[in-house]
Amino acid sequence: MVATSHNKQDEELLHQLQNILLKDDRVAIERLQETIDDPTLLSEKISPIIEERMMFFKEAFPKEFKATVDKMIEVKLKASQEEILDVIYPVMGKMIKKYVNHQIQMLKDSIDESIKKTFFSKGILWRIKNSLFGIKVSDQVIHDLKDYQIEEIYVIQRNSGLLFGSASTENTIDQDVIAGMLTAIKSFVEDAFKREREDLEMIQYGTYKILLQNFYSYYVAIAISGTMTSTEREDLANELLTFAEEHLNNMPPEPDGQIFKTISSALGQEFIKK
Amino acid sequence: MISRKVILTGSFGVGKTSLFRRFIKGSFSEKYITTIGVKVDKKVVEVRGEEVSILLWDIAGEVKQDKVPKSFFLGASAIIYVFDLTRPSTYKNIGVDLNILDEILPDTILKVVGNKEDLIEDKDKLAKIKAEVNATIDVVTSAKSGHNVEQLFFDLAANFVD
Repeated sequence: MVATSHNKQDEELLHQLQNILLKDDRVAIERLQETIDDPTLLSEKISPIIEERMMFFKEAFPKEFKATVDKMIEVKLKASQEEILDVIYPVMGKMIKKYVNHQIQMLKDSIDESIKKTFFSKGILWRIKNSLFGIKVSDQVIHDLKDYQIEEIYVIQRNSGLLFGSASTENTIDQDVIAGMLTAIKSFVEDAFKREREDLEMIQYGTYKILLQNFYSYYVAIAISGTMTSTEREDLANELLTFAEEHLNNMPPEPDGQIFKTISSALGQEFIKK
Repeated sequence: MISRKVILTGSFGVGKTSLFRRFIKGSFSEKYITTIGVKVDKKVVEVRGEEVSILLWDIAGEVKQDKVPKSFFLGASAIIYVFDLTRPSTYKNIGVDLNILDEILPDTILKVVGNKEDLIEDKDKLAKIKAEVNATIDVVTSAKSGHNVEQLFFDLAANFVD
């Protein structure tokens, strides 16, 4: 009985001692619990810390992770080289063409200037007529020739010669075979003359021309009748670049029936029904 | 429809163009006209309800495969290497030729075809020739009789569907 009474007293003393020693801690824990339970209070406390870490992360990220990110980009670029090239090819082409066009325009202006000086007296009526309609002399000479017409257009996989799509003004012989033979001729010429990084750009017979515009994994062949000025050819090349940007960016590795339908329909609308 | 490029290659006079003609047009001619450069034609084969368009490139024969322009092989899904069962000169370098083809297109289906079976008198003779060839012959054909020609291309088309 005596032992039990002592134990109780000890417990009471211990409890009092705990209350005295842990009083402040308990208040602090209670306040902390309230802060954790209340999202507004918690946010007030944590937000500055997160912001500070974010600022640090923003500043330190380029330094700390540059090598890792560079490596990741390098790996990704290597893995999707073909897709990336197909996307940037038309854009690069446009930029180069813009520059070349500018240079050609300067050359044409200089030729016009020379013609003006040379034929001032002889062609005065002709020149008056042209200037009334805003036509340049050099353009007038070329435009007097017959207009061109796109007869057929093909989008062909560069290596295999398989057809991604085609459109034509009338029914021709098997277009798959035409695409294959064009690719064979192209490969033969490019191999035979061994001119690195140079592509066959045109095949001509009589007044019929086949223009070949090369992209990374495919090329476009356009059969044209009539006469085409260099300006018209440039315009057509630009149209093709725009078409490639809009319709040929996500080409599958192998042609299939669905992609053939989609591309053929777009080719028809853009180039044949004009 | 699936479209695939298939190459017919091998030494000259082994019957590549005859196989090409037999498969595409179902005909045969005794006249020998050498192929210049390459000839391309197409045939659609149906495999398990799926249409497979085979774009066949008949390449001019060369004694060694390293003489064939590499660009002709690019993008091909299969190569058919043809030799003449009656002319040992057309298969004596077969190992070297097959290695060259394997280097150009490592992951492509390669079929070795012994042609002109109709000129072999009996089975013993054929077995002797097969033993001389330093490669596994996938199929023995005759462009003249048409034996195994359709089957060769049908098997290829089946590979493309699989």
